[in-house]
Amino acid sequence: MISLAGRDILHAWGKFVFTGAGLGLLIGVTLIMAGVYRGMVDDGRVLLDNSGADLWVVQKDTLGPYAESSSVPDDLWRSVASVPGVAQATNVTYLTMQVRQGERDVRAMVVGIAAGRPGDPGWPPYLVAGRQITRGHYEAVADIAAGFGLGDVLQIRRNRYTVVGLTRRMVSSSGDPMVFIPLKDAQEAQFLKDNDALLMQRRRTEANPEFNRPGVPGLLEAVVGSQAVNNAVNAILVRVSPEYEVADVAAPIRRWQRLQVYDRPQMEGILIGKLIATSSRQIGMFLVILAIVSAAIVAFIIYSLTMDKIREIAVLKLIGTRNRTIAAMIMQQAIALGLIGFVVGKITATLAAPLFPKYVLLIARDAVFGIFAVLAICVLASLVAIRMALKVDPAEAIGG
Amino acid sequence: MKRLLEGRRGLAVIGVLLPLLAFFAYAALRSGPLAPVAVTVATVETRSVAPSLFGIGTVGARYRHQIGPTFAGRVLRLEVDVGDAVEAGQVLGEMDPVDFDERIRAQSGALDRADAALREALARQAYAGSQLQRYEALLEARLISEETVATLRQNQQVADAAANSARGEVARNRADLDATRARRDDLRLVAPIAGLVVARSVESGTTVVAGQAVLELIDPSSLWIDARFDQISSAGLSAGLDARIRLRSRQDETLSGRVLRLEPLADAVTEETMARIVFERLPSPLPPIGELVEVTVDLPPQPPAPVVPNAAIRRVNGNLGVWRVAEGDELEFVAVVLGRGDLEGSVAVRQGLAEGDRIVVYTEKAIGARSRIRIVERIPGVTP
Amino acid sequence: MSGYGIRIEGLKKRYGKGDTAVDALKDVNMQVAPGEVVGLIGPSGSGKSTLLKSLGAVIEPSAGRMVLGEQVIYDDGWKVRDLRALRRDKIGFVFQAPYLIPFLDVTDNVALLPMLAGMANDAARARALELLTALDVQHRAHAMPSQLSGGEQQRVAIARGLVNRPPVILADEPTAPLDSVRAMAVIRILNAMARQFETAIIVVTHDEKIIPTFKRIYHIRDGVTHEEEGEGRAFT
Repeated sequence: MISLAGRDILHAWGKFVFTGAGLGLLIGVTLIMAGVYRGMVDDGRVLLDNSGADLWVVQKDTLGPYAESSSVPDDLWRSVASVPGVAQATNVTYLTMQVRQGERDVRAMVVGIAAGRPGDPGWPPYLVAGRQITRGHYEAVADIAAGFGLGDVLQIRRNRYTVVGLTRRMVSSSGDPMVFIPLKDAQEAQFLKDNDALLMQRRRTEANPEFNRPGVPGLLEAVVGSQAVNNAVNAILVRVSPEYEVADVAAPIRRWQRLQVYDRPQMEGILIGKLIATSSRQIGMFLVILAIVSAAIVAFIIYSLTMDKIREIAVLKLIGTRNRTIAAMIMQQAIALGLIGFVVGKITATLAAPLFPKYVLLIARDAVFGIFAVLAICVLASLVAIRMALKVDPAEAIGG
Repeated sequence: MKRLLEGRRGLAVIGVLLPLLAFFAYAALRSGPLAPVAVTVATVETRSVAPSLFGIGTVGARYRHQIGPTFAGRVLRLEVDVGDAVEAGQVLGEMDPVDFDERIRAQSGALDRADAALREALARQAYAGSQLQRYEALLEARLISEETVATLRQNQQVADAAANSARGEVARNRADLDATRARRDDLRLVAPIAGLVVARSVESGTTVVAGQAVLELIDPSSLWIDARFDQISSAGLSAGLDARIRLRSRQDETLSGRVLRLEPLADAVTEETMARIVFERLPSPLPPIGELVEVTVDLPPQPPAPVVPNAAIRRVNGNLGVWRVAEGDELEFVAVVLGRGDLEGSVAVRQGLAEGDRIVVYTEKAIGARSRIRIVERIPGVTP
Repeated sequence: MSGYGIRIEGLKKRYGKGDTAVDALKDVNMQVAPGEVVGLIGPSGSGKSTLLKSLGAVIEPSAGRMVLGEQVIYDDGWKVRDLRALRRDKIGFVFQAPYLIPFLDVTDNVALLPMLAGMANDAARARALELLTALDVQHRAHAMPSQLSGGEQQRVAIARGLVNRPPVILADEPTAPLDSVRAMAVIRILNAMARQFETAIIVVTHDEKIIPTFKRIYHIRDGVTHEEEGEGRAFT
């Protein structure tokens, strides 16, 4: 027995491939949507991985430091470091802001890393070019997603930083590239706005008679000086010694009333559960719509392909072809269409994914699930056409 | 199957299907978890690392003189302005004397009066003395009574006492006058040293309290730098080391200097060691006080040791180390003990690596012991 | 009559029920011997198409008897179960238009029927080639239907009708679109095939050009058939 479906496809292969390609673009879009979602989740995961921390110590009753702003005194790390099981406790600041380089502005997450050496929590865990920061000020390590190169001079608030190293895939949970600078500079950047704001603040302080007492020389300078100092950081990153359980180390820190401690699963829950929950729901809805649209389009395509052949189907039925054979022909064509569409879609998605501004992660599991979904949709869509075909009266072939 | 692929149609089918499948295979293998990770590799060399310390500081003056009145008053006039050079002893300004001149005149008058009283007392004393002498002589001649002489003696004593009192009064009045004059002098603001006026805090007519600075002077030759170094990386900082200074306003110029001393009191809050750096030669024009500078202190070079770039250092399972590439591109994590590094990113390794080891420097993503790697010259996506 | 051929006795077909019932066929009697080619003539509305559908085992009659070869396929309410297999194996169709499957080549168009009946592909193609040769279109064996002329396509259609060696072939207006030369050719072929393969052929037609060639003709009017002698003119 020859394959009727195969012969039909070979005979009109151009139309088939063309239709399959069109379907493939739709499938490609669906795969990319799924990739966008996975990319968002991966952004969150990568953010946590790259921080090198086992515990995040933040201001009490906040979801910080990524989901909510948190502020802890910058000398608190010493108390945290003295808790048994803490191998290392380091300060870190995060601030999403505009970083200027030459003529352009890039939105980046500026990470303030405490003086130390590579391998400390908060420091970039690996580089793709250049070196890690060695000077305590005015050096930066930037992610290549920001578009900076080695040697570029960045302007962050009032200081200039030279890019000495480059990283890859160091992004915030919303996909903004990270720029690592020394902690002291970051504290100043987070706090000191710009010169105009500083002058306004100074004038306001001078106008306040409480601070500007003639009988107390030096008071005004002292107050203005204290306003220009920032003694806070956003979080303390803790690395736990391998011999200790993370929960055992977190418990005593949590007991102090002024601090909140999150471990890795909790941070993932916060990032993925709260930060990207709305976006993921949105994407989920979009995926469902795409799937429905794809199903409808496949059904329509198969239906019209079948209707084009309705005369031949009547003849086939008249000369004695089994219903089964005719149904199989239609279903095989639908599946072939789906496979062509999927191959085109996967290739399209793979080629297009790096072009998106945010990270698009295509994983094999989504592709496998996609194949099965496409095949299922094709089979279901073909049922409509099969029903039509089987209802055809073979007597129509005999005119009248 | 053969019949299907005959002829032009068959060729066209192959022409379309094969690239499609090839693409598909490429897409499956090159992306996703199956793809090998691109890494760059360097060979460990033995050389001597010349560590340097980097700190920032502000330009300051060693001696800052805050000139002001010692008591509350009003500023009468100021003779100098910011930027003027002054000599030692030069009058810079004056507080309002208010009633001082009057008081001086009053005390002068009192002194004159005391002087006059003294002269009167002295005259009386002289007179009493001469009287006494005469009468004592007469007493020897037994011409007068003992009592008369006694009275005259008493007169003399009284006159002596009065004279002393008058003297004391004069001295007191003079002292008062001197004191008032001294305080009047004090109303004048005088430069204690030759130097430069750097601040003029109030204008004439302003009332100031005791101790409030009206003018500020510095000795320009005593400019130095308050530098701060992160404690964690400031080992080896000591007085006498050479330093390279870069002013924020003159980024292209590097000035030379020397570490004068390390402050015994570190800043516990900011965790910085403070040091004073002096210029070998004062830059001209002088940098303003408070200008930011960057200071690099070069330490003597370390003995030769295996050196790795600091980009190669990672932390795995709590240990600090590097990934070493063994035969057949197998990865192995080697824990190392690090020595000092220089400011360009080279770090000496005290223990764990030997010269000639090949280590992973840059990777396009995080790697583990079982990652497949492919060695490249440059990580893709990084423009030179 | 011997085993092959087709015989119909008292066939009736009623559509609908009760007062609105229509008797499309009232009393049809036909018999065609193997190797015979008869004509079936009737105006539209005469029940001709209903008769054709009954002959083609597409619809089921209401009463009567149909015997195909040695097999009773309908007898007053009883009918053979698998009409489709019957059509595949026992009845050949030739239509007005060739109705070849456009995506199969000529050989496969013809070989499809034996393949559907379970024959192996190579044997089916060999059988197809036999018939194509008999109809003198074997030189087009690997062409696609769209590449053939109308006459060639018709001959391929006839080959398809014959390929399963059915006892009866129903030809529905096979010469309607053709000119007299080609129409004669078709009739000549049909007669030759009927003899060669011992098939009974019923040709439904109203083409004046070929009616004289039939030796026997059935007329159908108002659901009743009448047999008639034909001229039996030789093919020219």
